[in-house]
Amino acid sequence: MTLHRLFPLRLRQTIAQVRLLHGSGCGHQLEEVAMEPELRKETSVFRTQVNDPACQSERHLGQYYTLPTSHLHTIFPHGLPARYQQQVKTFNEGCVMVRQPALELISYLKAADYSKPAVRYLLYGLKGSGKTMSLCHTIHYCSTQGWLVLHIPDAHLWVKNCKELLPSSYHTSRFDQPIEASNWLRNFRTTNERFLSKIKLRQRYTWTKRESTEKGSPLGELVDMGVSRVKSSSDVVGAVLKELRLQAAETEESEGFRLAVAIDGVNSLWGRTTIKKEDKSPVAPEELTLIHNLRKMIDNNWCGGAVIATLSQTGSLYSPSSAYLPKELLGEEGFDSMDPFIPVPVSNYSEKEFESCYLYYLDRHWLQHPHSESHSPQTCILVWSFLIPYFN
Amino acid sequence: MAAPITGLLKPWTPRLFLVRWSRYNPYYLEPEPRKELYNMPETELTTEQKEERELKAVRPIKATTNSTTSSVFNDPVLSKFVNMMMRDGEKILARGILTQTLESLKRKQVEKYHKAPQGKKAEIECNPYAIFHQALENCMPVIGLASIQKGGKFYQVPVPLTDNRRRFLAMKWMITECRDNKNRRTLMYEKLSQELLAAYSKEGNVIKRKHELHKMAESNRAYAHYRWW
Repeated sequence: MTLHRLFPLRLRQTIAQVRLLHGSGCGHQLEEVAMEPELRKETSVFRTQVNDPACQSERHLGQYYTLPTSHLHTIFPHGLPARYQQQVKTFNEGCVMVRQPALELISYLKAADYSKPAVRYLLYGLKGSGKTMSLCHTIHYCSTQGWLVLHIPDAHLWVKNCKELLPSSYHTSRFDQPIEASNWLRNFRTTNERFLSKIKLRQRYTWTKRESTEKGSPLGELVDMGVSRVKSSSDVVGAVLKELRLQAAETEESEGFRLAVAIDGVNSLWGRTTIKKEDKSPVAPEELTLIHNLRKMIDNNWCGGAVIATLSQTGSLYSPSSAYLPKELLGEEGFDSMDPFIPVPVSNYSEKEFESCYLYYLDRHWLQHPHSESHSPQTCILVWSFLIPYFN
Repeated sequence: MAAPITGLLKPWTPRLFLVRWSRYNPYYLEPEPRKELYNMPETELTTEQKEERELKAVRPIKATTNSTTSSVFNDPVLSKFVNMMMRDGEKILARGILTQTLESLKRKQVEKYHKAPQGKKAEIECNPYAIFHQALENCMPVIGLASIQKGGKFYQVPVPLTDNRRRFLAMKWMITECRDNKNRRTLMYEKLSQELLAAYSKEGNVIKRKHELHKMAESNRAYAHYRWW
């Protein structure tokens, strides 16, 4: 196997070189390729100091960049996968690998025309191949570029295990989910603080006989109302989505902004739910206010932004575990609604990415077996994890 | 034990259900799963190892258990611990708990390592296997008590323990402690990792139990001469 021959030699050299780089403090000059051309050819350096997703390119493929701690708390209060959050807590830093699907998406976002209707991108791939992390990388890019990010961390959570289901006040046949909606509004508030005072409402919203939000008041007031008045939070979510959809279409003068709608597990919007009404009949997704409003966001009848979605079989209901392609997971209805979209396949780690991951773990003192320097534990990990990012 | 009855050694025939029976003729030798010993060249072997090799060429060898592997991650102490934690034959569950324990140990130590100032980093042990072995060693009692009958009464007599017995006692105490004194909501691996870390730094209930045994033995020193072996 070529792997056996390649790895030991390159790895020993790599480890020696990486130690040299870190030890002599010239790790900070990694971008200055011209200065150390020989080192660049031989070493597979696993970290890059280019922390801005807009400046990353194919040169940085397979390398880890650090997410600044402030960004971690503001942009991703709820977005990162659970295992990754544990890793961030253990290593005391959040490092994301620059991978090809994310770079491709970011290049599409850079090149898109935002006066046309919103383009829809769909990340799909096998389980554990890195779709959510690619989505988070793209969200980081959108945030650093000053976009408004609407991140729904897992749409599957909205169609199952609902503790409180209220009949909607706005529309008699629909159902509200107050807890999920208020949680989401709280996290939305943390992510998009700076936009809350800038965006003004275009319409008057009446919640009850005595309460209403006037036209021209800032979005922050609406969101606060939704967080405090839990009963009407689902309708507040709908109102927020509508306002943002209308206002994102403006040109980029002082008031304009770009809207990024990021949904993880978009296949739940068209599947089935496990929520039951009081007479034990199942609730269809259309009958849930949150899902109904989200579907309106995904339609490409608004301009000035993009919709980035991820398919997910892991949390999905009533779908076979071997399904990962868009047609299988979205179903007829979902595919027709999402059509036309740009599919972005996400694959497992390549050898180079695996090596980079291995070096990162060595650096962070995660690989503790005494033979970590030698050949066999690495091939063990290689074989047993099947190059799947989730198991690495 | 009867002397090896080599004359009655029957030729091996396969059975319907292949089982590693625990009663072998003493003629059979133990299997050796470690790869390094087979890769050693002739010159590096001592006389005993050379004799062993020659013996292996002629004598039959017992079958290994399902849990022995020749990989670098195989550890007889850990296998023993897993077997002791196992209930109702659910080895997969027991091994899963142990893996989670080791992972949580590593996570806690690596977190501490990254938060520590530069000078203190070298003192923090991150290898979960090293912590496990050291914790177990810290829990092993040096001396034990045996119940000996003399003149109609039973006395608790201090007695030396074999290595196997000491290891067994340490593991048994660790497991019973984690099972009994655990909050209903904490999971086994969480409690185990806390106890192991405490034992590593010589604190915690298991170490206390070891010290109590030592104190009992010390207080019963007078009866030490009741032991006849």
